Amino acid sequence: MQSAFSLYGETFNSRFLLGTALYASPQLMLEAIASSQCDIVTLGLRRQNPKDQDGARIWQAIAGTGKRLLPNTAGCKSAREAITLAEMSREIFATDWLKLEVIGDDYNLQPCPFGLVEAATELTKRGFKVLPYCTDDLVLCQKLLDAGCEVLMPWGSPIGTGLGLMNKYNLRCLRERLPQVPLIVDAGLGAPSQACEAMEMGFDGVLLNTAVAKAAQPAHMAAAFAAAIHAGREAYTAGLMVQRQTASPSTPTIGQPFWHQKF
Amino acid sequence: MHAPPCLSIAIAGAGLVGRLLAWRLSLAGHRVTLCERDSFARSTSAAHTAAAMISPLSEVVVSERKIYDMGMASLKLWPQWLEALNLLQQPPVVYAAQGSILVAHPQDASELLQFYQDLSAQLGTDNTARWLDRREIAQLEPDLSAQFTQGLYLPDEGHLDNRQLLTNLLAAAQKLGARCLEQAAIEFQPKPYCSKLDLSKFDWLVDCRGFGAKPSQENLRGVRGEVLWVETSEVRLNRPIRLMHPRYKLYIVPKPQHRFIIGATEIESEDRSPMSLRSMLELGSALYTLNPAFAEARILELDANLRPAFWDNLPQIDATINSRGQGILSINGLYRHGFLLAPCMIEEALTHFTSCPTPDDNN
Repeated sequence: MQSAFSLYGETFNSRFLLGTALYASPQLMLEAIASSQCDIVTLGLRRQNPKDQDGARIWQAIAGTGKRLLPNTAGCKSAREAITLAEMSREIFATDWLKLEVIGDDYNLQPCPFGLVEAATELTKRGFKVLPYCTDDLVLCQKLLDAGCEVLMPWGSPIGTGLGLMNKYNLRCLRERLPQVPLIVDAGLGAPSQACEAMEMGFDGVLLNTAVAKAAQPAHMAAAFAAAIHAGREAYTAGLMVQRQTASPSTPTIGQPFWHQKF
Repeated sequence: MHAPPCLSIAIAGAGLVGRLLAWRLSLAGHRVTLCERDSFARSTSAAHTAAAMISPLSEVVVSERKIYDMGMASLKLWPQWLEALNLLQQPPVVYAAQGSILVAHPQDASELLQFYQDLSAQLGTDNTARWLDRREIAQLEPDLSAQFTQGLYLPDEGHLDNRQLLTNLLAAAQKLGARCLEQAAIEFQPKPYCSKLDLSKFDWLVDCRGFGAKPSQENLRGVRGEVLWVETSEVRLNRPIRLMHPRYKLYIVPKPQHRFIIGATEIESEDRSPMSLRSMLELGSALYTLNPAFAEARILELDANLRPAFWDNLPQIDATINSRGQGILSINGLYRHGFLLAPCMIEEALTHFTSCPTPDDNN
């Protein structure tokens, strides 16, 4: 149903990436993953004592969905922490895919641009396929591409806020200036309409978690987002019309004598 | 009418469920043997770590209606049960039911609104939560920081002194004739076994091992929780306070002797190692936010434990009959709702002990 897209040489049918945190139960999480029809799920392991694999129970359940796993470095505040955790997650999940998070501000979980570039440079050298969660700053995005990232994941707004696409100018600028780079809007989306809008703007995919996990019925919300993401992509490829301003007529209106027109 | 039969029942696991059941079954005149893998004094039970709130309103927001209904039933049972227990055993278990208060920093006010909205979605007209302004908060809790301009009052909530309760339940069961064995693990797989008991002599074996039942319960998992105990006489709180924050929801529960328990983290991991510094900082800052005088409180204890949970985070009672004709009852998966659900679960469990096991129990 969806037009396929490619990340790091791998093709995916769904443009919806889903997070696995914050659900009221693992059962609800698995139901949401199923109804989202997503191909990629993210999972965090920072606080689960990964060196002793104490989170294995839940990781196995997520891996059991058969989706492409995208371990993240949520909770890391420095490049060094993120790199250590990345190595651990590569070993545990046998994947070199990584959603890179380096947090600069603890309150709104804003990515640290400097730490991101530092970590991405090292991780791509070590063979990781890095998908950085970044702000919508064009120069940062260019530096991340220079560091070897092939996919970028700019935020819509800070994690968990549900504020949607906060800075559309910046996002549009990224899309226009980086036309060949897969861009996934990650974080801050609260409603399917916001996800649809991102897709209409030409973004390649959407990653979210809170809006689904905290819905009264996560599986229903996941389906709603899936439909919205699909609609947005279809609209983008179909070609949206340009909006017209018809409030103040530029030519005489039929049925009204021309000498009554105001110029 | 004939008197109910006196059954011989072995209980595995002396956590909250095991001890409550031992007491209730002894009261009902059955011959009870309560077996604990470790020692009674140094329990690894989740009930020992818990804050022991009976909070049906707060919990329904992170679960479902069924938890609320069971919680409201327990909220009625606790005062009756504790009254009976306190007659049998001293010092009494302190129980308070003065509701609880939810607050959030002004910039996180949307957390309160979301909570209220979630409560209404779950409970409809049963939502008894009430909005509080700064003046009302100050009336109910004079020691709460003045920065909280808005809050929610949840009337149908209580809490109890869990550690005294665990001690008293054991003593009461013993007084009523229950046999209590320490260092006496019961295994259920591949078949029931205990090095200290001949299990074939019992009519019923009851598995109340919580996370300890993991080897025989495929879908059981542990969810890590960490709590902090402090002591200070500078701050007085009359009821549990919950601090809503975008990323963590923490509570502070006042306990006897100027003690407070602050909890609890919730981490999807079966990690039993000591508390992390990050968790300590989160719990500590929540406390400090409520009243800066907590800065001089003394840290009594940092505890980490595992909540036993099934995949849907809902509790389960299962009754079967083994090849010897013994009844096997399993009560587990109380997750983060142990004190909220226990009386209700025990009442349900007791319905199985009205007779010797029959094929009807084999469901």
